[in-house]
Amino acid sequence: MKRRRERIDRGIKVRSEDIFALCSWREMLYLAFPRLLPIVGLILLSFVLSIYWQKVLLSVSVFALLAISWDILAQTGMISLGQALFFGMGAYLAGIMNHTWGLSPFITIPVATVSGGLFCTLLLLPVLRLRGIYFSMVTLILPLMLVRIVEATKIFGGTEGLSGLGALPSRWVELYTVILALLAALFGLRRLMGSDFGLVLKGINDNDRSVMSAGINIYWFKAQALFIAGSVGAFAGAYMTHVYMFVGMPVFALDYSILPIAAAVVGGTGTLAGPMLGAFILVPLSEILRGLGGLRIVFYGLFLVVFTVALPEGIFHYIARKYHQFERWVEVDT
Amino acid sequence: MLEIQNLMVFFENALALNDFSMEVKEGEIVGVIGSNSAGKTTLMNTVSGLIIDMKIKEQRKGGERITIYGEIIFNGQDITDTHPYHRVKMGLVLARERHPIFPESDVTENLKIAGHQKSKSEIKEMTQYAFTLFPALSQLRRRKAGFLSGGEQQMLSIGMALVTKPTLLLLDEPLLGLSPMMQTMLVQAIQNLRKESGITIFITEQFARPILPMIDRGYVIENGMLALTGTGAELMDNPEIKAAYFGI
Repeated sequence: MKRRRERIDRGIKVRSEDIFALCSWREMLYLAFPRLLPIVGLILLSFVLSIYWQKVLLSVSVFALLAISWDILAQTGMISLGQALFFGMGAYLAGIMNHTWGLSPFITIPVATVSGGLFCTLLLLPVLRLRGIYFSMVTLILPLMLVRIVEATKIFGGTEGLSGLGALPSRWVELYTVILALLAALFGLRRLMGSDFGLVLKGINDNDRSVMSAGINIYWFKAQALFIAGSVGAFAGAYMTHVYMFVGMPVFALDYSILPIAAAVVGGTGTLAGPMLGAFILVPLSEILRGLGGLRIVFYGLFLVVFTVALPEGIFHYIARKYHQFERWVEVDT
Repeated sequence: MLEIQNLMVFFENALALNDFSMEVKEGEIVGVIGSNSAGKTTLMNTVSGLIIDMKIKEQRKGGERITIYGEIIFNGQDITDTHPYHRVKMGLVLARERHPIFPESDVTENLKIAGHQKSKSEIKEMTQYAFTLFPALSQLRRRKAGFLSGGEQQMLSIGMALVTKPTLLLLDEPLLGLSPMMQTMLVQAIQNLRKESGITIFITEQFARPILPMIDRGYVIENGMLALTGTGAELMDNPEIKAAYFGI
Protein backbone atom coordinates (compact mmCIF):
# COMPACT_ATOMS: atom_id res chain seq x y z
CA MET A 1 0.00 0.00 0.00
CA LYS A 2 1.42 3.35 -1.00
CA ARG A 3 1.16 6.08 1.58
CA ARG A 4 2.44 9.60 1.89
CA ARG A 5 2.46 12.22 4.59
CA GLU A 6 0.06 15.00 3.97
CA ARG A 7 0.31 18.47 5.43
CA ILE A 8 -2.88 20.37 6.12
CA ASP A 9 -3.51 23.85 7.42
CA ARG A 10 -5.55 23.81 10.57
CA GLY A 11 -9.10 24.65 9.63
CA ILE A 12 -9.28 26.90 12.61
CA LYS A 13 -6.67 29.17 11.04
CA VAL A 14 -8.91 29.89 8.11
CA ARG A 15 -11.83 30.67 10.37
CA SER A 16 -9.76 32.82 12.68
CA GLU A 17 -8.32 35.05 9.98
CA ASP A 18 -11.21 37.45 9.81
CA ILE A 19 -14.14 38.80 11.77
CA PHE A 20 -15.10 35.19 12.49
CA ALA A 21 -12.34 35.06 15.05
CA LEU A 22 -14.57 37.02 17.36
CA CYS A 23 -17.12 34.20 17.39
CA SER A 24 -15.39 31.88 19.80
CA TRP A 25 -12.92 32.05 22.66
CA ARG A 26 -11.02 29.11 21.33
CA GLU A 27 -10.29 30.78 18.04
CA MET A 28 -9.48 34.12 19.60
CA LEU A 29 -7.01 32.39 21.88
CA TYR A 30 -5.50 30.48 18.96
CA LEU A 31 -4.89 33.77 17.21
CA ALA A 32 -3.80 35.78 20.23
CA PHE A 33 -1.61 33.23 22.00
CA PRO A 34 1.52 33.63 19.85
CA ARG A 35 1.28 37.41 20.18
CA LEU A 36 0.57 37.41 23.89
CA LEU A 37 3.38 35.01 24.68
CA PRO A 38 6.27 37.48 24.23
CA ILE A 39 4.32 40.38 25.78
CA VAL A 40 3.16 38.63 28.93
CA GLY A 41 6.30 36.52 29.08
CA LEU A 42 8.69 39.48 29.01
CA ILE A 43 6.70 41.55 31.49
CA LEU A 44 6.37 38.71 33.99
CA LEU A 45 9.88 37.35 33.49
CA SER A 46 11.48 40.43 35.00
CA PHE A 47 9.69 39.82 38.31
CA VAL A 48 10.88 36.23 38.57
CA LEU A 49 14.53 36.74 37.75
CA SER A 50 17.34 37.51 40.17
CA ILE A 51 19.28 40.75 39.73
CA TYR A 52 22.06 38.96 37.84
CA TRP A 53 19.65 37.37 35.38
CA GLN A 54 17.82 40.68 35.02
CA LYS A 55 21.10 42.07 33.71
CA VAL A 56 21.30 39.13 31.36
CA LEU A 57 17.75 39.80 30.18
CA LEU A 58 18.85 43.35 29.52
CA SER A 59 21.70 42.35 27.27
CA VAL A 60 19.51 39.69 25.65
CA SER A 61 17.02 42.39 24.70
CA VAL A 62 19.78 44.58 23.30
CA PHE A 63 21.06 41.73 21.15
CA ALA A 64 17.48 40.94 20.13
CA LEU A 65 17.10 44.54 18.93
CA LEU A 66 20.32 44.27 16.94
CA ALA A 67 19.16 40.96 15.46
CA ILE A 68 15.84 42.53 14.43
CA SER A 69 17.71 45.41 12.84
CA TRP A 70 19.93 42.91 10.98
CA ASP A 71 16.88 41.00 9.76
CA ILE A 72 15.29 44.13 8.28
CA LEU A 73 18.43 44.78 6.27
CA ALA A 74 18.64 41.11 5.27
CA GLN A 75 15.05 41.15 4.08
CA THR A 76 15.94 44.12 1.88
CA GLY A 77 18.83 42.17 0.38
CA MET A 78 21.59 43.92 2.30
CA ILE A 79 23.60 41.41 4.32
CA SER A 80 25.24 43.51 6.97
CA LEU A 81 28.30 42.33 8.85
CA GLY A 82 28.47 45.51 10.88
CA GLN A 83 25.63 45.91 13.33
CA ALA A 84 28.39 47.28 15.60
CA LEU A 85 28.38 50.41 13.41
CA PHE A 86 24.77 51.18 14.35
CA PHE A 87 25.31 50.17 17.95
CA GLY A 88 28.50 52.16 18.36
CA MET A 89 27.13 55.21 16.56
CA GLY A 90 24.13 55.37 18.91
CA ALA A 91 26.31 54.73 21.93
CA TYR A 92 28.81 57.47 21.12
CA LEU A 93 26.15 60.01 20.17
CA ALA A 94 24.30 59.50 23.46
CA GLY A 95 27.56 59.53 25.40
CA ILE A 96 28.81 62.73 23.79
CA MET A 97 25.50 64.54 24.30
CA ASN A 98 25.40 63.50 27.94
CA HIS A 99 29.08 64.27 28.57
CA THR A 100 29.34 67.68 26.89
CA TRP A 101 25.91 69.17 27.43
CA GLY A 102 24.77 67.13 30.42
CA LEU A 103 21.49 66.21 28.79
CA SER A 104 19.33 63.66 30.58
CA PRO A 105 19.13 60.09 29.21
CA PHE A 106 15.47 60.69 28.36
CA ILE A 107 16.60 63.25 25.78
CA THR A 108 19.84 61.68 24.62
CA ILE A 109 18.38 58.22 23.90
CA PRO A 110 15.63 59.41 21.51
CA VAL A 111 17.89 61.97 19.84
CA ALA A 112 20.70 59.43 19.46
CA THR A 113 18.22 56.94 18.03
CA VAL A 114 17.12 59.25 15.24
CA SER A 115 20.44 60.96 14.56
CA GLY A 116 22.30 57.65 14.81
CA GLY A 117 20.05 56.16 12.15
CA LEU A 118 20.59 59.26 10.04
CA PHE A 119 24.40 59.24 10.37
CA CYS A 120 24.58 55.52 9.58
CA THR A 121 22.43 56.02 6.50
CA LEU A 122 24.65 58.88 5.34
CA LEU A 123 27.79 56.82 5.95
CA LEU A 124 26.43 53.88 3.98
CA LEU A 125 24.75 55.95 1.26
CA PRO A 126 27.70 55.64 -1.17
CA VAL A 127 27.63 51.84 -0.93
CA LEU A 128 23.87 51.40 -1.42
CA ARG A 129 24.54 50.60 -5.06
CA LEU A 130 26.70 47.67 -4.08
CA ARG A 131 25.09 44.30 -3.71
CA GLY A 132 25.86 41.10 -1.86
CA ILE A 133 29.36 40.59 -0.54
CA TYR A 134 30.54 44.11 -1.45
CA PHE A 135 27.98 45.73 0.82
CA SER A 136 28.86 43.25 3.57
CA MET A 137 32.55 44.06 3.30
CA VAL A 138 31.98 47.79 3.65
CA THR A 139 29.73 47.35 6.67
CA LEU A 140 32.33 45.08 8.26
CA ILE A 141 35.11 47.62 7.76
CA LEU A 142 33.31 50.81 8.86
CA PRO A 143 33.08 50.05 12.62
CA LEU A 144 36.72 48.88 12.66
CA MET A 145 37.66 52.13 10.96
CA LEU A 146 35.75 54.26 13.46
CA VAL A 147 37.50 52.53 16.37
CA ARG A 148 40.87 53.43 14.90
CA ILE A 149 39.77 57.02 14.34
CA VAL A 150 38.79 57.32 17.99
CA GLU A 151 42.03 55.68 19.06
CA ALA A 152 44.33 57.67 16.81
CA THR A 153 42.83 61.14 17.15
CA LYS A 154 41.99 60.73 20.87
CA ILE A 155 38.61 62.40 20.34
CA PHE A 156 35.72 61.56 22.67
CA GLY A 157 38.02 60.29 25.40
CA GLY A 158 40.20 58.25 23.08
CA THR A 159 41.12 54.82 24.41
CA GLU A 160 39.72 55.58 27.86
CA GLY A 161 36.30 56.51 26.60
CA LEU A 162 33.77 58.70 28.39
CA SER A 163 32.83 57.56 31.87
CA GLY A 164 30.59 58.84 34.65
CA LEU A 165 27.66 59.38 32.33
CA GLY A 166 24.10 59.84 33.56
CA ALA A 167 22.21 56.71 34.54
CA LEU A 168 18.56 55.83 34.16
CA PRO A 169 16.57 56.49 37.35
CA SER A 170 16.12 52.92 38.56
CA ARG A 171 16.65 49.27 37.76
CA TRP A 172 13.02 48.88 36.81
CA VAL A 173 12.98 51.85 34.46
CA GLU A 174 16.09 50.42 32.84
CA LEU A 175 14.49 47.04 32.36
CA TYR A 176 11.12 48.19 31.16
CA THR A 177 12.53 50.77 28.76
CA VAL A 178 14.31 48.08 26.82
CA ILE A 179 11.46 45.55 27.10
CA LEU A 180 8.92 48.04 25.78
CA ALA A 181 11.29 49.14 23.03
CA LEU A 182 11.86 45.53 22.04
CA LEU A 183 8.13 44.74 21.91
CA ALA A 184 7.43 47.94 19.99
CA ALA A 185 10.19 47.14 17.50
CA LEU A 186 9.03 43.56 17.11
CA PHE A 187 5.35 44.22 16.52
CA GLY A 188 5.71 47.57 14.79
CA LEU A 189 8.33 46.41 12.35
CA ARG A 190 6.56 43.11 11.70
CA ARG A 191 3.53 45.12 10.72
CA LEU A 192 5.68 47.44 8.63
CA MET A 193 7.22 44.52 6.76
CA GLY A 194 3.73 43.21 6.08
CA SER A 195 2.57 46.51 4.61
CA ASP A 196 3.05 47.68 1.03
CA PHE A 197 6.29 49.36 2.04
CA GLY A 198 7.62 46.08 3.38
CA LEU A 199 6.54 44.30 0.22
CA VAL A 200 8.73 46.62 -1.85
CA LEU A 201 11.68 45.91 0.46
CA LYS A 202 11.19 42.16 0.10
CA GLY A 203 10.87 42.65 -3.64
CA ILE A 204 14.26 44.36 -3.72
CA ASN A 205 15.72 41.27 -2.06
CA ASP A 206 14.06 38.91 -4.52
CA ASN A 207 14.76 40.73 -7.75
CA ASP A 208 15.88 44.33 -7.64
CA ARG A 209 15.75 44.80 -11.40
CA SER A 210 12.07 43.86 -11.52
CA VAL A 211 11.40 46.38 -8.78
CA MET A 212 13.23 49.00 -10.81
CA SER A 213 11.14 48.20 -13.86
CA ALA A 214 8.04 48.79 -11.75
CA GLY A 215 9.18 52.40 -11.60
CA ILE A 216 10.37 52.31 -8.02
CA ASN A 217 13.56 54.03 -6.92
CA ILE A 218 15.17 51.15 -5.06
CA TYR A 219 17.96 53.32 -3.62
CA TRP A 220 15.45 55.52 -1.86
CA PHE A 221 13.74 52.46 -0.39
CA LYS A 222 17.08 50.92 0.57
CA ALA A 223 18.04 54.16 2.30
CA GLN A 224 14.78 54.10 4.24
CA ALA A 225 15.39 50.50 5.29
CA LEU A 226 18.89 51.48 6.37
CA PHE A 227 17.51 54.35 8.42
CA ILE A 228 15.01 52.07 10.18
CA ALA A 229 17.57 49.37 10.89
CA GLY A 230 20.15 51.98 11.88
CA SER A 231 17.74 53.64 14.31
CA VAL A 232 16.91 50.34 15.99
CA GLY A 233 20.61 49.58 16.37
CA ALA A 234 21.41 53.11 17.53
CA PHE A 235 18.69 52.90 20.17
CA ALA A 236 20.30 49.74 21.54
CA GLY A 237 23.67 51.50 21.67
CA ALA A 238 22.39 54.69 23.27
CA TYR A 239 20.49 52.69 25.85
CA MET A 240 23.52 50.55 26.70
CA THR A 241 25.63 53.70 27.19
CA HIS A 242 23.33 54.84 29.97
CA VAL A 243 23.14 51.40 31.53
CA TYR A 244 26.93 51.10 31.78
CA MET A 245 27.30 54.87 32.34
CA PHE A 246 30.29 54.55 30.04
CA VAL A 247 31.04 54.66 26.36
CA GLY A 248 34.32 53.63 24.79
CA MET A 249 35.93 51.68 22.00
CA PRO A 250 34.37 48.31 22.97
CA VAL A 251 31.02 49.47 21.55
CA PHE A 252 32.43 48.85 18.08
CA ALA A 253 33.43 45.29 19.03
CA LEU A 254 32.85 42.44 16.64
CA ASP A 255 30.45 40.75 19.11
CA TYR A 256 27.77 43.26 18.25
CA SER A 257 28.12 42.36 14.56
CA ILE A 258 28.41 38.58 14.76
CA LEU A 259 26.01 37.61 17.53
CA PRO A 260 22.93 39.18 15.90
CA ILE A 261 23.66 37.22 12.73
CA ALA A 262 24.03 33.98 14.67
CA ALA A 263 20.77 34.74 16.50
CA ALA A 264 18.97 35.41 13.22
CA VAL A 265 20.23 32.18 11.68
CA VAL A 266 19.31 30.07 14.70
CA GLY A 267 15.92 31.73 15.11
CA GLY A 268 14.96 31.87 11.45
CA THR A 269 15.54 34.83 9.19
CA GLY A 270 12.85 36.88 7.53
CA THR A 271 10.41 36.94 10.42
CA LEU A 272 11.87 39.44 12.93
CA ALA A 273 10.39 37.25 15.67
CA GLY A 274 12.86 34.50 14.74
CA PRO A 275 16.00 36.59 15.30
CA MET A 276 14.57 37.78 18.61
CA LEU A 277 13.92 34.18 19.64
CA GLY A 278 17.45 33.31 18.56
CA ALA A 279 18.90 36.05 20.78
CA PHE A 280 16.81 34.75 23.68
CA ILE A 281 18.40 31.32 23.21
CA LEU A 282 21.99 32.22 22.37
CA VAL A 283 22.81 34.94 24.93
CA PRO A 284 21.55 33.00 28.00
CA LEU A 285 23.26 29.90 26.63
CA SER A 286 26.54 31.77 26.49
CA GLU A 287 25.96 32.85 30.14
CA ILE A 288 25.24 29.28 31.25
CA LEU A 289 28.33 28.02 29.47
CA ARG A 290 30.46 30.55 31.39
CA GLY A 291 31.07 27.80 33.98
CA LEU A 292 33.04 25.82 31.41
CA GLY A 293 35.81 28.42 31.29
CA GLY A 294 38.01 28.22 28.22
CA LEU A 295 35.92 25.51 26.58
CA ARG A 296 32.92 27.85 26.49
CA ILE A 297 33.46 29.02 22.94
CA VAL A 298 33.98 25.44 21.76
CA PHE A 299 30.62 24.28 23.07
CA TYR A 300 28.97 27.46 21.91
CA GLY A 301 30.34 26.98 18.39
CA LEU A 302 29.38 23.30 18.43
CA PHE A 303 25.82 24.20 19.36
CA LEU A 304 25.67 26.68 16.49
CA VAL A 305 26.97 24.15 13.99
CA VAL A 306 24.60 21.40 15.11
CA PHE A 307 21.73 23.82 14.99
CA THR A 308 22.34 25.21 11.53
CA VAL A 309 22.85 21.72 10.09
CA ALA A 310 19.88 20.09 11.79
CA LEU A 311 17.37 22.91 11.49
CA PRO A 312 18.43 25.20 8.64
CA GLU A 313 15.03 26.85 8.46
CA GLY A 314 15.39 28.21 12.02
CA ILE A 315 13.40 27.56 15.16
CA PHE A 316 10.71 30.11 14.52
CA HIS A 317 9.76 28.79 11.08
CA TYR A 318 9.65 25.29 12.53
CA ILE A 319 7.40 26.23 15.43
CA ALA A 320 5.13 28.35 13.23
CA ARG A 321 4.68 25.45 10.85
CA LYS A 322 3.84 23.02 13.63
CA TYR A 323 1.39 25.54 15.07
CA HIS A 324 -0.49 26.23 11.85
CA GLN A 325 -0.36 22.85 10.17
CA PHE A 326 -0.76 19.21 11.10
CA GLU A 327 0.38 16.15 9.27
CA ARG A 328 -1.18 12.79 8.67
CA TRP A 329 -0.59 9.69 6.58
CA VAL A 330 -2.91 9.25 3.61
CA GLU A 331 -3.18 6.51 1.05
CA VAL A 332 -2.04 7.36 -2.45
CA ASP A 333 -4.69 6.82 -5.09
CA THR A 334 -4.54 7.60 -8.77
CA MET B 1 16.47 1.77 -23.00
CA LEU B 2 14.48 3.90 -20.60
CA GLU B 3 11.30 2.67 -19.03
CA ILE B 4 9.09 4.68 -16.72
CA GLN B 5 6.46 2.74 -14.83
CA ASN B 6 3.52 4.23 -12.95
CA LEU B 7 5.41 7.35 -11.94
CA MET B 8 3.68 9.54 -9.36
CA VAL B 9 5.15 12.77 -8.03
CA PHE B 10 3.52 14.88 -5.35
CA PHE B 11 4.60 18.40 -4.48
CA GLU B 12 3.10 18.59 -1.01
CA ASN B 13 -0.59 17.96 -1.77
CA ALA B 14 -0.44 18.74 -5.49
CA LEU B 15 -0.16 15.79 -7.82
CA ALA B 16 2.31 16.77 -10.56
CA LEU B 17 2.61 13.39 -12.29
CA ASN B 18 -0.20 10.88 -12.05
CA ASP B 19 0.44 7.24 -12.89
CA PHE B 20 2.64 8.11 -15.85
CA SER B 21 4.20 5.28 -17.83
CA MET B 22 6.30 5.52 -20.97
CA GLU B 23 9.22 4.02 -22.78
CA VAL B 24 12.18 5.18 -24.87
CA LYS B 25 13.83 2.63 -27.14
CA GLU B 26 17.45 2.68 -28.32
CA GLY B 27 18.06 5.07 -31.20
CA GLU B 28 14.67 6.78 -31.08
CA ILE B 29 13.65 10.37 -30.78
CA VAL B 30 10.75 10.42 -28.35
CA GLY B 31 8.73 13.49 -27.55
CA VAL B 32 6.45 14.36 -24.68
CA ILE B 33 4.07 17.13 -25.66
CA GLY B 34 2.13 19.10 -23.10
CA SER B 35 0.99 22.60 -22.27
CA ASN B 36 2.25 24.64 -19.34
CA SER B 37 1.95 22.98 -15.93
CA ALA B 38 1.27 19.59 -17.53
CA GLY B 39 4.23 18.09 -15.66
CA LYS B 40 6.89 18.07 -18.39
CA THR B 41 9.67 19.59 -16.32
CA THR B 42 8.77 17.45 -13.31
CA LEU B 43 9.05 14.42 -15.56
CA MET B 44 12.48 15.52 -16.78
CA ASN B 45 13.69 16.32 -13.28
CA THR B 46 12.51 12.93 -12.07
CA VAL B 47 14.16 11.05 -14.91
CA SER B 48 17.43 12.94 -14.53
CA GLY B 49 17.32 12.58 -10.75
CA LEU B 50 17.47 16.29 -9.95
CA ILE B 51 14.25 15.86 -8.01
CA ILE B 52 16.09 13.76 -5.42
CA ASP B 53 18.31 16.72 -4.66
CA MET B 54 15.29 19.03 -4.54
CA LYS B 55 13.54 16.62 -2.22
CA ILE B 56 16.38 16.49 0.27
CA LYS B 57 16.83 20.27 0.26
CA GLU B 58 13.13 20.95 0.76
CA GLN B 59 12.96 18.37 3.51
CA ARG B 60 15.74 20.02 5.47
CA LYS B 61 14.28 23.47 4.96
CA GLY B 62 10.87 22.19 6.07
CA GLY B 63 9.40 23.30 2.76
CA GLU B 64 7.19 21.43 0.33
CA ARG B 65 7.30 17.71 0.80
CA ILE B 66 8.05 15.83 -2.41
CA THR B 67 6.80 12.25 -2.63
CA ILE B 68 7.82 9.97 -5.49
CA TYR B 69 6.33 6.60 -6.36
CA GLY B 70 6.96 4.39 -9.37
CA GLU B 71 9.98 3.02 -11.13
CA ILE B 72 12.50 4.36 -13.61
CA ILE B 73 14.49 1.66 -15.38
CA PHE B 74 17.52 2.60 -17.47
CA ASN B 75 19.29 -0.15 -19.47
CA GLY B 76 17.64 -2.79 -17.30
CA GLN B 77 18.74 -1.16 -14.06
CA ASP B 78 16.38 0.42 -11.54
CA ILE B 79 17.62 3.98 -11.08
CA THR B 80 14.67 5.42 -9.15
CA ASP B 81 16.87 6.25 -6.13
CA THR B 82 20.14 6.88 -7.96
CA HIS B 83 21.71 10.30 -7.51
CA PRO B 84 21.87 12.59 -10.53
CA TYR B 85 25.67 12.50 -10.82
CA HIS B 86 25.60 8.69 -11.02
CA ARG B 87 22.94 8.90 -13.70
CA VAL B 88 25.15 11.22 -15.74
CA LYS B 89 28.00 8.71 -15.46
CA MET B 90 25.59 6.05 -16.72
CA GLY B 91 24.93 8.19 -19.79
CA LEU B 92 21.64 9.83 -18.87
CA VAL B 93 22.14 13.57 -19.32
CA LEU B 94 19.65 16.41 -19.09
CA ALA B 95 19.83 19.80 -20.79
CA ARG B 96 17.63 21.80 -18.46
CA GLU B 97 15.04 24.33 -19.59
CA ARG B 98 15.70 28.09 -19.80
CA HIS B 99 19.29 27.61 -20.96
CA PRO B 100 21.12 27.21 -17.65
CA ILE B 101 24.67 28.20 -18.63
CA PHE B 102 27.44 29.75 -16.55
CA PRO B 103 27.09 33.42 -17.48
CA GLU B 104 30.52 34.50 -16.18
CA SER B 105 32.53 31.97 -18.20
CA ASP B 106 33.09 31.96 -21.95
CA VAL B 107 31.75 29.32 -24.33
CA THR B 108 34.72 26.95 -24.32
CA GLU B 109 35.03 27.24 -20.56
CA ASN B 110 31.35 26.34 -20.22
CA LEU B 111 31.89 23.21 -22.27
CA LYS B 112 34.98 22.35 -20.24
CA ILE B 113 33.10 22.64 -16.94
CA ALA B 114 30.31 20.45 -18.27
CA GLY B 115 32.78 17.77 -19.37
CA HIS B 116 34.79 17.76 -16.16
CA GLN B 117 34.22 14.00 -15.72
CA LYS B 118 35.75 13.18 -19.07
CA SER B 119 39.36 13.03 -20.21
CA LYS B 120 40.96 15.97 -21.99
CA SER B 121 40.97 14.31 -25.40
CA GLU B 122 37.29 13.38 -25.08
CA ILE B 123 36.36 16.93 -24.15
CA LYS B 124 38.32 18.23 -27.12
CA GLU B 125 36.64 15.79 -29.44
CA MET B 126 33.12 16.49 -28.18
CA THR B 127 33.70 20.25 -28.11
CA GLN B 128 34.75 20.03 -31.73
CA TYR B 129 31.63 18.00 -32.45
CA ALA B 130 29.41 20.53 -30.71
CA PHE B 131 30.96 23.27 -32.85
CA THR B 132 30.32 21.36 -36.05
CA LEU B 133 26.76 20.65 -34.96
CA PHE B 134 26.19 24.33 -34.13
CA PRO B 135 28.43 26.33 -36.46
CA ALA B 136 27.11 29.57 -35.00
CA LEU B 137 28.72 28.68 -31.67
CA SER B 138 32.22 28.22 -33.06
CA GLN B 139 32.36 31.93 -33.96
CA LEU B 140 31.68 32.79 -30.31
CA ARG B 141 34.26 30.63 -28.54
CA ARG B 142 35.67 33.49 -26.48
CA ARG B 143 32.35 35.29 -25.82
CA LYS B 144 31.07 35.35 -22.23
CA ALA B 145 28.05 33.03 -22.09
CA GLY B 146 25.97 35.66 -20.30
CA PHE B 147 26.17 37.87 -23.41
CA LEU B 148 24.92 35.21 -25.83
CA SER B 149 21.44 35.46 -27.30
CA GLY B 150 18.70 33.09 -26.19
CA GLY B 151 19.16 30.76 -29.15
CA GLU B 152 22.94 30.68 -28.75
CA GLN B 153 22.54 29.93 -25.06
CA GLN B 154 20.23 27.05 -25.94
CA MET B 155 22.78 25.66 -28.39
CA LEU B 156 25.46 25.98 -25.73
CA SER B 157 23.24 24.23 -23.21
CA ILE B 158 22.73 21.28 -25.56
CA GLY B 159 26.45 21.31 -26.36
CA MET B 160 27.23 21.15 -22.64
CA ALA B 161 25.03 18.07 -22.31
CA LEU B 162 26.78 16.51 -25.32
CA VAL B 163 30.26 16.95 -23.88
CA THR B 164 29.46 14.37 -21.19
CA LYS B 165 28.94 11.80 -23.98
CA PRO B 166 25.39 10.77 -23.21
CA THR B 167 23.72 7.63 -24.50
CA LEU B 168 20.31 9.12 -23.72
CA LEU B 169 19.99 12.87 -24.05
CA LEU B 170 17.08 14.57 -22.29
CA LEU B 171 16.07 17.94 -23.70
CA ASP B 172 13.68 19.95 -21.57
CA GLU B 173 11.85 22.50 -23.73
CA PRO B 174 14.71 23.15 -26.16
CA LEU B 175 12.59 25.50 -28.27
CA LEU B 176 11.58 27.74 -25.37
CA GLY B 177 11.86 31.40 -26.25
CA LEU B 178 13.23 30.87 -29.77
CA SER B 179 11.94 32.42 -32.98
CA PRO B 180 10.33 30.09 -35.56
CA MET B 181 13.46 30.27 -37.69
CA MET B 182 15.72 29.36 -34.80
CA GLN B 183 13.31 26.57 -33.91
CA THR B 184 13.61 25.01 -37.37
CA MET B 185 17.37 25.32 -37.22
CA LEU B 186 17.54 23.64 -33.81
CA VAL B 187 15.18 20.84 -34.88
CA GLN B 188 17.46 20.26 -37.86
CA ALA B 189 20.47 20.13 -35.57
CA ILE B 190 18.78 17.62 -33.26
CA GLN B 191 17.96 15.40 -36.24
CA ASN B 192 21.56 15.62 -37.45
CA LEU B 193 22.74 14.75 -33.98
CA ARG B 194 20.74 11.53 -33.98
CA LYS B 195 21.83 10.66 -37.50
CA GLU B 196 25.52 11.26 -36.89
CA SER B 197 26.07 10.01 -33.35
CA GLY B 198 23.16 7.63 -32.79
CA ILE B 199 22.32 9.19 -29.44
CA THR B 200 18.82 8.41 -28.21
CA ILE B 201 16.93 11.64 -27.61
CA PHE B 202 14.00 12.35 -25.34
CA ILE B 203 12.37 15.78 -25.74
CA THR B 204 9.62 17.52 -23.82
CA GLU B 205 8.12 20.48 -25.56
CA GLN B 206 4.99 22.55 -25.75
CA PHE B 207 5.45 23.60 -29.40
CA ALA B 208 3.95 20.55 -31.12
CA ARG B 209 4.23 21.85 -34.68
CA PRO B 210 8.01 21.81 -35.12
CA ILE B 211 8.52 18.78 -32.87
CA LEU B 212 5.94 16.28 -34.13
CA PRO B 213 7.44 15.79 -37.62
CA MET B 214 10.84 14.79 -36.25
CA ILE B 215 9.91 12.41 -33.45
CA ASP B 216 9.52 8.66 -33.86
CA ARG B 217 7.02 8.32 -31.09
CA GLY B 218 5.20 10.83 -28.97
CA TYR B 219 3.25 11.03 -25.76
CA VAL B 220 0.77 13.75 -24.91
CA ILE B 221 0.65 14.68 -21.24
CA GLU B 222 -2.21 16.57 -19.65
CA ASN B 223 -2.41 17.49 -15.97
CA GLY B 224 0.30 14.94 -15.21
CA MET B 225 -1.57 12.12 -16.89
CA LEU B 226 -0.93 10.34 -20.15
CA ALA B 227 -3.61 11.51 -22.59
CA LEU B 228 -2.48 10.10 -25.94
CA THR B 229 0.32 8.14 -27.46
CA GLY B 230 1.35 7.26 -31.01
CA THR B 231 3.97 7.78 -33.68
CA GLY B 232 4.74 11.32 -34.73
CA ALA B 233 2.66 11.02 -37.87
CA GLU B 234 -0.31 9.52 -36.00
CA LEU B 235 -0.28 12.35 -33.52
CA MET B 236 -0.09 14.93 -36.31
CA ASP B 237 -3.26 13.52 -37.85
CA ASN B 238 -5.12 13.30 -34.58
CA PRO B 239 -8.00 15.82 -34.61
CA GLU B 240 -7.70 16.56 -30.90
CA ILE B 241 -4.04 17.43 -31.24
CA LYS B 242 -4.81 19.56 -34.25
CA ALA B 243 -7.40 21.47 -32.26
CA ALA B 244 -5.34 21.83 -29.11
CA TYR B 245 -1.85 22.49 -30.49
CA PHE B 246 -2.24 23.61 -34.11
CA GLY B 247 -5.40 25.63 -33.69
CA ILE B 248 -7.02 24.10 -36.76
